[in-house]
Amino acid sequence: MWQAFWALFGAMVTVAACYAAGALLVDWAKAPLKRPERFPLSFVLGASVLHLAVFAILSLKIAYRPVVIGLMAVPIVWAVWKGSWRLKGSAVEPLSLALKLFYTAIFGAFTILYFFHAWAPESSPDGSAYHLGLVARYLRMHGFEQVVTNMYANLSAGVEMLFVPAFAIGKHSAGALVHYAFLVALTMAMFAYGRRIGKPWVGATGALLVYASPVVGLDGSIAYNDCGVAAIAFSVFYFLEIWEETREPRLLIPIGLLAGYCYAAKYTAVAMTVYAFLFVAWKSRKLRQCAVVAACAAVLILPWMAKDWIYAENPMAPFFNKIFRNPYRRIVAEQEYADFLSHYSVENKWTLPVEVTVRGEKTTGLLGPVFLLAPLAFLALRSRQGRRLLLPGLLLFLPFFTNVGTRFLIPCLPFVSLAMALAVPSTPVLAALVLIHAVLSWPSVIPRYSAQYAWHLDRILWKQAIRKIPQDTYLAQNFAGFGIARLIDDHVPKGARVLAVNGVADSYTTHEVLVSFQAALNDDLADILDAGWDESRQPTRRLTFKFPVRTARRVRLLETGVGAPLEEFKVTELRYFYQGAELPRASAWRLRAWPNPWDVQLAFDNSPATRWRSWEVAAPGMYLDTDFGKFEFVDEVRVDTSFDYANIRLQVEAMEPSGHWVKLSADPKTDVIPPPVDIRRWASRDLHERGIDYILMNDTDWGADDMREDPGSWGFQEIARGYGARIYKVVTP
Amino acid sequence: MPEPYAPPVQRQPFEDARPHRISRFVAMADADAAAHFVQDIAPGEPAAWKWTNQKPTVKVVLRTNLRLRYVIDFSLPEVTFKVTGPATLTFFVNDHVLDSVRYTAPGEFHYEKAVPAEWVEPLKDTLLSASIDKVWVSPTDGAKLGFILTRIGLTQ
Repeated sequence: MWQAFWALFGAMVTVAACYAAGALLVDWAKAPLKRPERFPLSFVLGASVLHLAVFAILSLKIAYRPVVIGLMAVPIVWAVWKGSWRLKGSAVEPLSLALKLFYTAIFGAFTILYFFHAWAPESSPDGSAYHLGLVARYLRMHGFEQVVTNMYANLSAGVEMLFVPAFAIGKHSAGALVHYAFLVALTMAMFAYGRRIGKPWVGATGALLVYASPVVGLDGSIAYNDCGVAAIAFSVFYFLEIWEETREPRLLIPIGLLAGYCYAAKYTAVAMTVYAFLFVAWKSRKLRQCAVVAACAAVLILPWMAKDWIYAENPMAPFFNKIFRNPYRRIVAEQEYADFLSHYSVENKWTLPVEVTVRGEKTTGLLGPVFLLAPLAFLALRSRQGRRLLLPGLLLFLPFFTNVGTRFLIPCLPFVSLAMALAVPSTPVLAALVLIHAVLSWPSVIPRYSAQYAWHLDRILWKQAIRKIPQDTYLAQNFAGFGIARLIDDHVPKGARVLAVNGVADSYTTHEVLVSFQAALNDDLADILDAGWDESRQPTRRLTFKFPVRTARRVRLLETGVGAPLEEFKVTELRYFYQGAELPRASAWRLRAWPNPWDVQLAFDNSPATRWRSWEVAAPGMYLDTDFGKFEFVDEVRVDTSFDYANIRLQVEAMEPSGHWVKLSADPKTDVIPPPVDIRRWASRDLHERGIDYILMNDTDWGADDMREDPGSWGFQEIARGYGARIYKVVTP
Repeated sequence: MPEPYAPPVQRQPFEDARPHRISRFVAMADADAAAHFVQDIAPGEPAAWKWTNQKPTVKVVLRTNLRLRYVIDFSLPEVTFKVTGPATLTFFVNDHVLDSVRYTAPGEFHYEKAVPAEWVEPLKDTLLSASIDKVWVSPTDGAKLGFILTRIGLTQ
């Protein structure tokens, strides 16, 4: 029961602090808000400011609970003292009884569903993994730290910054409830917008189309950030509309802050930052006003860029690694990830409209079948308000093609929904549209038309929310991720890192889990692990270059071919010979590689389980370069590589005293060689040498069978199993 | 670009190298043991051992059929042995009779024998069983007890 109380309390304190901070700013900016607008717009605006304050205390590494709670108390006390706490504002036209009843009934029904789901123990995949996992980690460390094993730590996390105070007080569910507050604020703001433009039924329809949408309800009631992004983007639009009416210069500050908060919440929402800037430039045609917006936006954007520049050597990490080269994220991994996100498992993109509205399985979630009518929104182009809505809607829609997950449509959904409602001139039709949408979006109805495994809410979790069903019991029975996290904490010594092939619920374990695809270091470790069982990765191909004896100080292996998509240049071992004897690798040697210079030693460590990889598509000009430190006789070069690298075209070159490279051989003899019988031991020893003594394998992971069949051949001992996973310890490295 | 690197510490081969051996055991203590039961093994929670009926059978899937050995660890408890006397166990792989062994005293036993490759199809269910010729029948409820099974499986 106490868990339930603290979760609710943590969320309430955070939401109240956001509202208070926003209300203070709204009053300072003399924003002429109407009463229904005051809470939602103040809350979102306050969130933008408060997120920066949380960012600051994390940067200063003073994120202790009293500091965090004190940070929340300051704006609340200040707002009460200044009188900004009150829900004031100019009055608006009263609502008709029919609209009041209609709105309240539908909003109320879905609120019960969502609120209890948000309050219940968090069991969402990404929420329990990185959205809250990193929050928990920062709180444990009392601030930011360099996280080189999780690319998600490099994403901007403007909404998650507000999970920090909530989590500090009420743990996981408090974070989800804060996100749910964004959804409520969005819905209220959309409704208020309809009233502001004199079309309350349009506002109500747009708001309920969004609020009742299955993917919105699901996303908004877990610790994700998409509904937060939508609320922020819509608030930018809203303040711009008010500014256009009043031309109050102080309003440009909230506009700039919110525009910057878009980037801070999610990179893809930067479209709204651009929109805000261009809108002000277009309407004001004054450099000073544009500068105010840009400067305020920069205040919220630059800290995130600076953090990434410092920690990840890439201000836009984990993307654009080809421009900002760094040792923490692989270019091929980024390409593979982007490639997956651009289609998920949808083979025919023409099926996307049905997938994201009706089916909801491949793109993880559905908007609801009513959104098949979304093209209706274009009819709204006839009105000024429609045009205003559709432009930012379109800008926010464009990033969807880089990630076709249904929830990536949420930020543009408010604009599309309101435009759809504007396009329908009849109130009864609007009411019918909402009613049909509400019925089709109710959990018990969704399975009648969606795909079998569509992701959606399935029931009201009130017993779980108030912890009548204890939290751990519910999670252990319903969320394998929680059980696996408990296995880790129960069986792995404190502080030990765990290597995993797939993601885990990081927020439920205090251990650092290195997930194979989430960082360059993890990629390397997974490559070593895979070399143990995957023959295609083992050094079973030997290329031997023979040439007339040569004295050389520097010799390089040059790639001259072009790889197929995602095909890299890979070398397990590179050896030099003279008269059949290998040149011993001397400490005076100096090794270079391009690209991926950081891993060059992997081709010179005498281990068949490690290899240097270009980690980008093989291309002419890539090389491994050895400076012997003195002139050496060389007449043979051997390259041990694997068969997962087909389009291989290499040549050996030596550097002349003039500094020019000359070709020695480009016609190697190819032999198939057997891998060492104990290559699994080589792999586990290399993992051990890198500080990895614990491996988590789901029973369905690639390679899991091999380890389960004979852990001893790996030097492993199975120390725990359950929830469809096993943990191995390296016992004989 | 970082500074060039010196060669790292050279890894040395292992002196006690051995090849990978594929094993698929169903141990009664395994959490997922019941998923492998086909017949004549008492269901319920995992335990260190379980009573069987006359012909306990499990199913396993292996990636290979090469160099496999049938392995079973079981007990003939004194309490039932007193009634049944010496018993003969017949070991099966996919209904092929691997062997029959007569046990003339109670105790714990380990049995292991090579399996012809053609009896096992890789990546398909393989049935492993052991049949006892005499079962103990409860005079009160007629329940039949064969022997106590600890684990059964195939290994290379």
